Amino acid sequence: MEKLTLPAKLENYEQMISFIVNGAEAAGFDKATISKIHLACEEALVNVINYAYPDKQGDIEIGYNFSDDNSGFLIDIIDWGIEFNPLNKSEPDIEAPLDERPIGGLGIFFIRKIMDEVIYKRDRGRNILTLIKR
Amino acid sequence: MDSNFLVDFNEGVAKFNLSGRLDTTNAPALSDELKELVGQNVEKIVFMANDLEYISSAGLRVIVFAKQKMGVDTQVFVVSPQQDVLDVIKMSGFDSFLKILDSFDD
Repeated sequence: MEKLTLPAKLENYEQMISFIVNGAEAAGFDKATISKIHLACEEALVNVINYAYPDKQGDIEIGYNFSDDNSGFLIDIIDWGIEFNPLNKSEPDIEAPLDERPIGGLGIFFIRKIMDEVIYKRDRGRNILTLIKR
Repeated sequence: MDSNFLVDFNEGVAKFNLSGRLDTTNAPALSDELKELVGQNVEKIVFMANDLEYISSAGLRVIVFAKQKMGVDTQVFVVSPQQDVLDVIKMSGFDSFLKILDSFDD
């Protein structure tokens, strides 16, 4: 698995997303799929950067792995912050009229719509979000 | 990525140029430019999207903010979006209150 660990700050976001996009390109996805993977990962990374470490600094560890045996392109996004399961947030009602649309929830909605599997685990003080695209 | 998005504001029409990406890193800058228009007579906000290759929820939120804050009579247009960007707009459901156009003539 390829891994990268950086402080969970917006200034490191470009490096994080480039790391994943390079991996998706090496895995051979087409341009439109890479763009969607990019989007799902932006949403996931921004959630960690904004919410995982309210009181102190912390790191994000990003890892990816690609298997030819149909297990697909797997991305792990790990932080050591407060317990936060992004999948618990309710999804926006995308058919609601504009004045009934609160701004939040769209990022998680995109992650679930784009990725084939989205798994959250809390393990030994870590939030582990796994995104899989086949 | 442009740091200056607004290209023209004339006779109630505010035209913005979007290119490259509109994501968490530069959406706040666009938001700042849109906030300058609040309280002014804006009939139409036009996002020229021909060169925009990528948009995330951060970018969409800023565009929706424009619609919500300007008032119910302000129309928001997205002109000539690329397929990837159009896919994301449709995924969000925001295409029901943005007007997607192939071109825009003043």
